[in-house]
Amino acid sequence: MAVHLAPDKLADLETAVAMVRPGSMVALGGGLSARLPMALVRGLIRAGIGDLHVVGSAHSLDVDLLAAAGAISVCEESYVGYEQDHGLAPAFRRAAEEGSLEARESCCDTILTQLRAAEMGLSFLPVHGVKGTDIEGLHPEYSRVACPFTGHEYVAVPPLAPDVALVHAPIGDRAGNLHIEQPYVLDERFAVASTMVVATVDRIVSTDEVARAGIVIPYYRVAAVAEAPFGAHPSSCYPGYAYDRDHLATWVAEARTAEGAEGYLRRYVTGVDEDGYRRLIGADRLEHLTGYRDSGGAWMEMFR
Amino acid sequence: MSYRFGLDELFVVELARTVRDAEVVFHGFGSPCATVAMHLAKRTHAPHALLIEGATYAVNPSPAFIPPTSNDHSLKRGAAYSMRFEEAFDMSVRGDVDHMFLSGLQIDPYGNTNVTAVGRMPAPKVKLGGGGGGCNMSATIRRLTLWTTNHRSGRCLVERCDFITDIGHLTPEGTRSELGYTGGGPEVLVTELAVFDYPDGRARLRKLFPDVTLGDVTAATGFEFAVAADLAPVDTPSRHQIELVRAIDPLSVRRREFGPAELERTFRQ
Repeated sequence: MAVHLAPDKLADLETAVAMVRPGSMVALGGGLSARLPMALVRGLIRAGIGDLHVVGSAHSLDVDLLAAAGAISVCEESYVGYEQDHGLAPAFRRAAEEGSLEARESCCDTILTQLRAAEMGLSFLPVHGVKGTDIEGLHPEYSRVACPFTGHEYVAVPPLAPDVALVHAPIGDRAGNLHIEQPYVLDERFAVASTMVVATVDRIVSTDEVARAGIVIPYYRVAAVAEAPFGAHPSSCYPGYAYDRDHLATWVAEARTAEGAEGYLRRYVTGVDEDGYRRLIGADRLEHLTGYRDSGGAWMEMFR
Repeated sequence: MSYRFGLDELFVVELARTVRDAEVVFHGFGSPCATVAMHLAKRTHAPHALLIEGATYAVNPSPAFIPPTSNDHSLKRGAAYSMRFEEAFDMSVRGDVDHMFLSGLQIDPYGNTNVTAVGRMPAPKVKLGGGGGGCNMSATIRRLTLWTTNHRSGRCLVERCDFITDIGHLTPEGTRSELGYTGGGPEVLVTELAVFDYPDGRARLRKLFPDVTLGDVTAATGFEFAVAADLAPVDTPSRHQIELVRAIDPLSVRRREFGPAELERTFRQ
């Protein structure tokens, strides 16, 4: 939870990615189909940085791609998948079933509590539930504690202090100030509980512009910030762009087999840099995803 | 004048009936039928409900359509307020959320649910998505409405869950009161075949869908269940309710929860 006071954190994507060491505990910002740190995830895979312990609340393609690349040793997420739309996450599921990845499933509220313990410098906090579920059995690090006032027995959880939080924001400045739109999901908590934030932004702007939009993560939590236009694609990053449902469908279909997933990684990740990735997706397609503002009708048509 | 409706529409209306006016109601993610049901209830019999929308945590929005993901800005349209993640979870675990919708790939007679894995963890036969916030929220939220669209398979309503993700009325570690849990647990289970309640903490058949027999339910259910003395068909939805379901969900995202055979079930009133 060190502070990061260098006046200029602007880095290229490769330099930012290299701040994540193999074997790190990595918090993933955003959630489900929104504001996933995809440019950083693709960067990690290109750089071959693995043995990661990923934590987060409900996630999808970020975890699934890292799992496909064999980069995850422990997955401590509350959910990984594509909801009712595209269903289970094929690569994550395969890795968990083979046992090449430990699915140490957690709960959104437990993770929140553990991050708060880290933020407050406490050695544990109690949670309301978990007792009686099989989630507890996946976590030998949990314990039980009796309330000194009522005697009620709670499940006690230790602090969760990730080595690095990966966050994508629509805008940020060179000092590392970041603006994001609601829902912030756990990003504010990750930013404080983690040793450092490594961020990408769709646009680097002036400090005044970030301040006018509202600083959600302050510069002193951020160790590096790289500009990555459409860096959350195929997830959304409002107010910039909606999520690319068709592209997610492409991934889910191809990743049904390990060979298909490898083919996707070669084509969209290891075979290209981020400029090449955007060219593969296509300027027209990316422009289309920004068109949600035109009217409610256009927005709805994107999801048909 | 007669009108027609599909199983998906009837199912959503039945879920909406479980929402009470002036209560705080939440559904989480991956549950389009519950999303549509909450908005239907708010626009009909529960106008004063405080509705917390999916993974946006927006309060009382009126989206123009329901998108296929529950974390999309289109769901925040017209919201009175956007809760932070922390506000929604704190409200739930301290006991200020009245009602939550919860599903399970497996559901046992006590309403424990499994959304973690089929087979034994670690390295299960099928790793499912996971429970989100359920294993804390199911302990503290006042009332739970369970639902599944997979009853007929025979693999959903089972004697014992392979893994307990969310808490029903009785776990191997004891009852809710023995565990010290303040929430009331599952109150209703709505399936694509029938509606159950939990008068003694165990599922009891309460209502049947119009094209379903008691034999159908028995054949699809992996545990013994009591049958209410006043077992009845589900109430017929009004034309207004059906029209509202279609207006709230013009993309028919709700239909993605059902298998093709179930979607062929249509009714005429």
